[in-house]
Parts: sequence; structure tokens; C-alpha cells
Amino acid sequence: MPLLFILPCIIILAVISVFPFIYSLFLSLNSWELTMGEPRKFIGLANYARLFTEPRFWNSMWNMGKELIFGVTSQFVIGLLLALMLNRVIKVRSLISTLFLLPMMIAPVVVGCNWRMIYHFTYGPLNYALKLLHISREGFNWLGSTKLSMPSIIISDTWEWTPFMMIVLFAGLQSIPVELYEVARVDGASRWQQFLNITLPLLKPIIIVAVLIRAMDAFKIFDLVVLLTQGGPAGSSETIAYYNYLTGFKYFSVGYAASLAYIQLIIIVIIANVFLRFLPEKEAGK
Amino acid sequence: MREKKYIIILLFVITSFALIVFLTPILWMVLTSFKEKGEYFTYPPVFISRTIDLSHFKRGLEIGGQKGIIDSLIISLFATLLSMAVGSLAAYSLARFKIGGKHLAFWILSIRMMPPIASILPLFLLYRFLRILDTYQALVITYSILNIPFAVWMLKGFFEELPAELEEAALVDGAGRFSAFYRIALPLIAPGLVATALFCFMFSWNEFFFALIISRSRVTPLTVVISGMIGGHEILWAEIAAVATMASLPVIAIAVILQKYLVRGLTLGAVKG
Repeated sequence: MPLLFILPCIIILAVISVFPFIYSLFLSLNSWELTMGEPRKFIGLANYARLFTEPRFWNSMWNMGKELIFGVTSQFVIGLLLALMLNRVIKVRSLISTLFLLPMMIAPVVVGCNWRMIYHFTYGPLNYALKLLHISREGFNWLGSTKLSMPSIIISDTWEWTPFMMIVLFAGLQSIPVELYEVARVDGASRWQQFLNITLPLLKPIIIVAVLIRAMDAFKIFDLVVLLTQGGPAGSSETIAYYNYLTGFKYFSVGYAASLAYIQLIIIVIIANVFLRFLPEKEAGK
Repeated sequence: MREKKYIIILLFVITSFALIVFLTPILWMVLTSFKEKGEYFTYPPVFISRTIDLSHFKRGLEIGGQKGIIDSLIISLFATLLSMAVGSLAAYSLARFKIGGKHLAFWILSIRMMPPIASILPLFLLYRFLRILDTYQALVITYSILNIPFAVWMLKGFFEELPAELEEAALVDGAGRFSAFYRIALPLIAPGLVATALFCFMFSWNEFFFALIISRSRVTPLTVVISGMIGGHEILWAEIAAVATMASLPVIAIAVILQKYLVRGLTLGAVKG
């Protein structure tokens, strides 16, 4: 009976996930150019050898790395500040937090749309504001320059996902018992000492969970790239997810695309295992 | 409160500033949807349109928005139903019978985290072989990759919080396992069911990557329609903004309803909130 309950789930997941992972591994050992009409050919690890010497792969990994380093860090820092702030606002807190969450709830495609308008070189409100404030005379070419294309994506992504960090860290702050702070205050600890010695250590597991989730998301950053820059100009904002999409579904190099996917799969499995370790053990004793 | 007055003022100023930063892009979208053609391609930019022109909503619906909304609704509804049906059974099994122990549960959850490209490449070939590319079925099934692990994990948490005694009493009274699940356990976690279903709906509604790969012309989810409008030669910003605004309304409603469960859902149950 218990088996009957879980069987449909196992079958579906096997078809849409286990089979693909195994088949992907097999594909990654083959050369298969779907558009050329050539038959599939077993080439062993040649795809992986090609991948590691391919500058475009490293470029796309580095772009994803930039999002990981600069994007996730700024999301964490701003999110933590907002969470601390929200923790001290008492009135209309739930209204405020719902408003903050909107960027994360709307579709990433819609987020991309919005920022495409905002970043517009001549007609966008962002350059208009910068000119008004005399920060820049000409305005910046946000999406059209190799220097700014990736930062633009990171800014939009930070706008979209800082609320996630905020709400998760806020939940963490709420779970810290108030008594701890009261005792610390009696002992004469300053606010900064309280933050360093109570807040941060108790928040640590939640910080790790939140950062790991965003780290795995960084590999998937795709929607914003499509809507804002299509990886351009000159590949300056091509992330690994977008490069992988192009190899698989524009160039139809199935084998090579599968090897790219597998490299990411391995890295994500490692991150996911760390993540799982931080999940609360629910009713372990029962 | 013992808070000094200036701290309260400072908090108010910072909160307002942060809210402005996070809401302006959304406000800009809504405002743009009302603008006439001359108004979104001008310098300096027009913030508030002189006339409130609702014709872009109508026009946006005509150039693909309507088909997009209907398709996204169909796909999201069926994807949610499928995941909830399959997910609740599996979650119940994991929570009550501890089937497969911790490992099976973790394995199911980890599928949710895998890079989507790793599964879509073989699935694309499979769908091509079965000739079901560009169909509702293909998208509904594919969205289970995201939704089933999520639903299982969320509902498992809700079932575990439910004391088993009630179901045991029913079993003693001669009810079968399935009716204990269906008649007693399910109704008792109704809020959790609704929250999980809304999450699944939102994931499916917002999804773009799978949609872009699987859809062509017969099935066009809203996200694909919006991104296609931007790729065009002449970008009709007001129409795009109007469709994007319509696409955002359901998820904004969901955000308000879900408030209590948001943290739990977004962290896959890692943080209770």
C-alpha cells in the first residue's frame, strides 16, 4: 500500500528526470550535430576535452561567476540590512514586506521587460535620472557596451532577488529569542556586539541555506540574459545557461551541449548535498 | 517603545527609500502601459501619461496576449493539478510510512535543484520522437520536474505536522488507508494544500526556459509571447507593458494570499518562517 501511494511520483520522476540524466551522460560521450544530418558517433570524452579548451565555455562560466560573486553578495548584504530594518519596523510590517516581495513574484521575463525599458540609452528613465543628478553627462550605454552588459544583468537580478534574501533572513531574525538580547543588554553589550555575538551566529544556518539556493540559481540565470542582452555584445554577458541553450537549441550540437549540462550537473549536485545537510531534521526521534 | 525619535524617523526614511527603489520599475511598467506612442519614445521621458489610454491592453491582447493568457492558464492549471495529485500521495507515503527513509525524500527534492538544461535536452529529443513538441501535454509534463519535487517536499512537511492519531482512529473503525488519507488527512492540511498549489501555479505561470524550448506556434505561453514581442523590429512598449502588467496581476494576488507560507515555500521548507 505505501508503495502504491508513491509509485506515480517515482514513475513520472523517472521518466522526466532519471532517464534524461542517464541519456544526457550517454549523449555527452557522442558527437551528434542534429542540423548536419550526420549520424551519432561515439567519441568518448572528446566533448569534455573540447569544453575545457573552449574559451567561450570559460567566458560563460566567468560571467556566471560574476553573478555569483557580485550579485549574490550584494543581494545578501542589502537583504540583511533590509531584514534588520524590517525587524525594527512594527507598524504595517506585513504590508511593507508584501510590497518588497513583488519584484521576486512577478515573472523574470516581466522583470527583463521592465529593465529593458529602464536601461534604454536615449529614452530610459535611468539615464535621464543620472543626467539630472549630474552623475553622467551622456548617460551610460547599459546594455550595449561590453563593460556594462554583465553589471546591468547583475543589477536587475539583484533587484529581483534581494527581497528573497530579505524575507528569509527576516524569518531567521524573528526566530531568535528576544531574551538573549535582554541578557546581553544587562551585561552591557553594545548593539554592535549583540549583532556580532548573537544575531550573526544564530542566523548562520539560514544565511547558508539562502546563499546556497541563490548560488544554484546563478547557474540557471537565463531569462534576464535573453530579454536584456542575448549574451551580447560580443559575448560579454553570455552566461553558462545561455551558452548551453545556444549549443543545444540553436547550433544543435547535442553531444557537446550534453557535456556542458553534465559539468553543471556535477557542480550543482555538490552544492545541493551541502544544502541538504542544512535542512532541519523533522521529528527525527519519532 | 524606548526608541529615540530620530531612529524612528531614520527608519521611516530608509524604508521609504528602499520601497521606492524596489517598486519604481514595476510602477514604470504600469505607467508605460497607459502611454501613447509618442510618450514612451521621447526625451525627457514622460512619467505620467496625459491621457489614460487603455487601448494598449486591448491591442496587447490581440497581438498574442490573449492566446498567451489562455495557454498559460491551461498549462499552469493542469500542471498544478497533476503535481498536487501525484505529490500529495507521495508526500503522505513519505510522511506516514517513512518509505525509502531520508534518502528517497532527499532524492526527490534534489531533482528540483538540478540545472533544467540537463533534463530538457533528452526530453526535447523524446518529445520530437513522440511528435508532441509544441503541445500542452509536453509542457504540463515537463513542469512536473519543478512542481512534483516541490509539492512532495512541502506537503510532506504539512503531513508530518499533523498528528497521526486521527487517521489511526479511522483505520480502527474500518476505513481503508486511502480513505483515511482522502477523508481525514487531506482536509486537515487544506491551508497547506492551497499554499502549495498556488506556488506550483506561480512557478508554471512564470516559467520561461522550458516554454521557450518546447513551444512553437500552436502553444504559446505568456512568457514566450512577451519575450517574442521584444524581439520584434518595432518594439511596442505600451502593448508589451500592458501584457506584462496583466501577466503580473495573478502572481501579485498570489503573493498577498501566500504571505504566511512564502518563506517556507521559497526555501523548500528549509526555513519555517
